[in-house]
Amino acid sequence: MIPDRIIEQGTLTTDGSRTAVEVRLPWYRALPGSCIAGATLTVDGVEAPAESLRWTMNGREFGFADLVDETGEWWFPTDSALLSGDLPIDPDAEHEVTVGLTLYIPYIIISDTETLHIDETNTKTMKAVAA
Amino acid sequence: MITVPERVEGLGSPIQGVTLYSFTRAFHGREYDLEGLIRKTAAEGYGPGLEIIGFSSFRGFPEIDDAYAGWFRDLVDEVGLVTTSLAVNADIGIHRDRLLNQDELIEYMTRQIKAAAKLGFPIARVQISIEPDSMEALAPIAEEHGVTLALEVHADQYASHPRILALRDRYEKVGSPFLGFTMDWGATVSGFAPSLIEAYRRRGASEELLRQVVDLWNTYYEQGPPADQAEHGQRFGSFIGLAARNGRPDLGIDFGINGTGLFGPARVDDWLVIAPWIKHVHGKFFGIDENGEEPSVPVRDLVKLLVENGYKGAISSEYEGWHWNHWESPFDIIRAEQAVQRSAAADAGSRMVTDLAEARAQLGAWLPTAEGASA
Repeated sequence: MIPDRIIEQGTLTTDGSRTAVEVRLPWYRALPGSCIAGATLTVDGVEAPAESLRWTMNGREFGFADLVDETGEWWFPTDSALLSGDLPIDPDAEHEVTVGLTLYIPYIIISDTETLHIDETNTKTMKAVAA
Repeated sequence: MITVPERVEGLGSPIQGVTLYSFTRAFHGREYDLEGLIRKTAAEGYGPGLEIIGFSSFRGFPEIDDAYAGWFRDLVDEVGLVTTSLAVNADIGIHRDRLLNQDELIEYMTRQIKAAAKLGFPIARVQISIEPDSMEALAPIAEEHGVTLALEVHADQYASHPRILALRDRYEKVGSPFLGFTMDWGATVSGFAPSLIEAYRRRGASEELLRQVVDLWNTYYEQGPPADQAEHGQRFGSFIGLAARNGRPDLGIDFGINGTGLFGPARVDDWLVIAPWIKHVHGKFFGIDENGEEPSVPVRDLVKLLVENGYKGAISSEYEGWHWNHWESPFDIIRAEQAVQRSAAADAGSRMVTDLAEARAQLGAWLPTAEGASA
């Protein structure tokens, strides 16, 4: 729907071992944490290990397993969330960043047991900043 | 007891309005905040009707505190708009491992109906995932809060679809004036939107592929809307197959979603089977051509049908071309589409209501109130 806006330009940060980027909701309405089913963070073709990924929104940090039952915190359409993972990259250099998101759309029910999910991807090039 | 709404005598005069959904990219892109969009809507004359999606525009929705509701209502009064419909959602799939049960769904929707009342919206737009039993259970709650529930008839459904007729029949049985439909013009589209063809062209689709996409959609238009979900699924799959055969599998899902879910191929007069229950309208459209007309939505025929059937509710212009059209301003496009609506209403021997006081009085008389039904 709005995949071109997933990655916030100019928000790539790294402390040398962990790397983070701000991401935007590619959908028109707020979704609860329970509908944020997964993400990938790839820089220059290297993907951060899934178990190292963390998701920060509304000032709280979550692992993706924690988000499964999270119906209290919502991702508002104009807010940035922070996606971070174990990924050593060079600060002060240009990098190609790719973020993939899997989101459940909770009001679109496609069978007696199944809710629609969407997979969206965005790639942008930007300079990293030392965290 | 079977209750059919009274036939409305005389010509209708729809209230002009807009849904802020039309400006999704501007809001999402932080060009305008909610207050800015409301002020612009009033200043540019896109009202007086104002529709908002709860989960898009109100942080923390459906929890709305008194101070925020007061600020919102004061703002709407100050700029001179009238709140029409609050679009709400039945998030039946909010839990990853199961769907909401009936009691949970009623509780979830009740919170949003209360939010609509608190914010001053006389209508809550609900969606197809709410079944007849749930609509019946929600009717007394809607009545208690003075909010009409208008279930949206949206492609890939259409007015004479079995699921919609089942709802209509239940409405007849229940007999509550607080149950009705939102008519979405996307169910009765007459062509594949040219602006979307242009967007695919800009993504490198060949002219041959684009010709085949249009031909396939036109074939389904000739056949009419899908009889059931199985036929809908077959059509969706055929768009994916077409993209794959032409070496552009990356476009397949997009063809399918838009070709079946946005451009519904029912005829305009299909709406007549539910016309007395149409309480609200989404004037869905996708673009305006060089002649100032909507090339793929029969806006003039749809406005004529509403006028001739005595419709006096609001039409929220709902521009959906923003998904793919990043080269034209949604604000200019809304202005042009509303000019078509006004022209069509005049051609039908009536007019669109654009005056604030008249719109407020007419909407108040059109919809039931908590104290008792209006008609």
